Amino acid sequence: MYNTLCVALVPLLAIGAGVLPASAQTTDQNRYYIQQMIELAANNDEHGLTATQQVLAQSPKPQPKDAVGARAAFERGRALLEQDQLDAALTALRQASQSDPSNVEALNYLGLAYRKLNRLPEAEAALQQTLALEPTRAVAWFQLAQVYGLQNDTRRAVGALANTYRFAENPMRAEEILRNIAENEAADTLRNAALDTLRLYKLPVATPIVPPLPTNPGIRPLNSRSRSTQAQRSAAS
Amino acid sequence: MKPSWAVLVLVVGLSHLASAGAASPYETINYHVQQMIAQAVSSDSTGVQAFREQLENLPRPKAGDSAKARPLQQRGLEQLTRNALKEALATFRQAFIADPTDPEIASQLARTYLRLERFKEAERLSIYTLSLAPTHAITWLGLGEIYGQMGDASRAGGAFANAYRFASDPPQLTERLRQLATIHPTEAVRASAQQALQTIKTTITPQPSAAPVLAPKTSPATSAVPPDPTIADTAVTATHPTEPFPNNAIPLSAPSASTQEPNTANPGQRIYRQSIPRTCLIVTSRNGKTDNLGSGLLVSADGLVITNDHVIEKADNLAVKCGERESTASVRKRSKQPDLALLATSLKNGESFIFNEAYSQDLIGRDVFVIGNPYGLEGTFSTGVISGLREIDGVRYIQISAPISPGNSGGPVILQDGTVIGIAAMVLKKGQNLNFAIASSEVIVSGLFDPARMQSRPLVKEP
Repeated sequence: MYNTLCVALVPLLAIGAGVLPASAQTTDQNRYYIQQMIELAANNDEHGLTATQQVLAQSPKPQPKDAVGARAAFERGRALLEQDQLDAALTALRQASQSDPSNVEALNYLGLAYRKLNRLPEAEAALQQTLALEPTRAVAWFQLAQVYGLQNDTRRAVGALANTYRFAENPMRAEEILRNIAENEAADTLRNAALDTLRLYKLPVATPIVPPLPTNPGIRPLNSRSRSTQAQRSAAS
Repeated sequence: MKPSWAVLVLVVGLSHLASAGAASPYETINYHVQQMIAQAVSSDSTGVQAFREQLENLPRPKAGDSAKARPLQQRGLEQLTRNALKEALATFRQAFIADPTDPEIASQLARTYLRLERFKEAERLSIYTLSLAPTHAITWLGLGEIYGQMGDASRAGGAFANAYRFASDPPQLTERLRQLATIHPTEAVRASAQQALQTIKTTITPQPSAAPVLAPKTSPATSAVPPDPTIADTAVTATHPTEPFPNNAIPLSAPSASTQEPNTANPGQRIYRQSIPRTCLIVTSRNGKTDNLGSGLLVSADGLVITNDHVIEKADNLAVKCGERESTASVRKRSKQPDLALLATSLKNGESFIFNEAYSQDLIGRDVFVIGNPYGLEGTFSTGVISGLREIDGVRYIQISAPISPGNSGGPVILQDGTVIGIAAMVLKKGQNLNFAIASSEVIVSGLFDPARMQSRPLVKEP
């Protein structure tokens, strides 16, 4: 019965895409589907999720303009990101994703760079583009959950974490990661989202009585650039 | 024991069902492990062997970063040795996240959960471990203990039987079962270990595996998520509470306690060690979010905690952590003037602070020690002297030079004899080290102090 309903859901979703404003670009449609996947995951609606995923898989994919140049820029950007040279990394990764908008890794790392720079709307957009190309990319779902956590959006953080678990290559590892966040994360939204995700899947977890505190409440070298951190926000007066 | 062809047919048939159905990887693994247990309970070696082979043929997860995991594993083992279970859990978790294909690490994580009495997690990790290494005898033993603790003597017995079956050193395993059968506090564990000992005498031939740990095989069915350093970014914001507090704190109320301190400990070290288990972190929440934090102190053996009223004034919920112990809390009494609140917690049978009744010029110049959680930096210890006595809006304060910051509010200001002379409350922002604590004498005359439950004593002359 339910399967039948879900088979019917696929064309319905396709029609849903059709009723989007004519001016809506593919990117907007993809974002819509990613949001659908988040919402369905938060409701633990596996069949609906699969149906949306299928629609997303059929959406047109961008073509590379300069795949070789993009690869070189991506490698440069990744190395810079690992050295924590965030601004330079961002420049290189933007170049990579513009040269090859189908390069999933470049887009994923671009999202990471934006998140590290606390540019959350841009991080969200890059990660959504990543997921539109590869909806089962657990790492990107996880980073998107962190973005929503930083935006204090528990509901969407739960959906993104639920998809992290759903698409994890090793679910037991993902389970432990979720438990770690649920028990030790100082930021309330992400911790509560991990807790809700574990409950969604009926996985065991010990709820901390005393919420964890940041181990480093904004301590940084005297000459470092001031950057708003989650830890600083968590430290109450 | 008879060869069970029916079981073989069942194994083949059900394993196809399991792989064809929508079962999650864990459910599939669990199914095979439970079958191995069920066959062991029936003393059916052929059945155990058949399901073991099925388990071995399941897709293996992709190998992790063993170079990163191994040092963490070593650290976890050291923490287990000194019984620092929460620390060990955090460390083994990190090791497991780094390399989820190492059965030793997975097994140690499972056993840590077991020691923390988190049986569901322990069970899941044990079953997962057995998917990596179906003949891992220690994991079977642990799984038996888990089922015993959960009151499932039958499955405990099956798991124990498999532990013996796959033991590389059967006499040693027998000895461990004997220990479980005699000294384990849980009846079901003792009974099932006893049962297993009787069964293995008559029916089981040990089959230690030459290669108990299987090499990881990559599953062709798994999604091609490339190894990505960003997943390790889990820890970007996740924190790992450290537990620097010694378990062997000396009770202040015991006169002989100070003699137990090593001679090398200076007064500050002695005060810190004595006071940290009874100094509290107070975390308040509002609308489900962490709202404020402060400090407090245990003042009675039945778990009463004193703090400042301003720490808890807007809270929906309260949680306290005193030393290693945690509890929710409720407000028993509170007052704006003086700025004090009394909280009830479940932290009973612990040591508590003794108030010092003094409020005189004799105090000025005396050393004081402050413990608290400024900006959430738990258990921060600072020292200074009593700089003066002030009465502000009819409340007696002790002015101290020991640094305090937001988060110290409600924490103890302690004299060298270990008694509490004040409750940290205010700072004068304009100056330097002009900090104020509500005098203990003020606490004693307030309606919060209950002489039947809390202790106080006069000032002792310093040597």
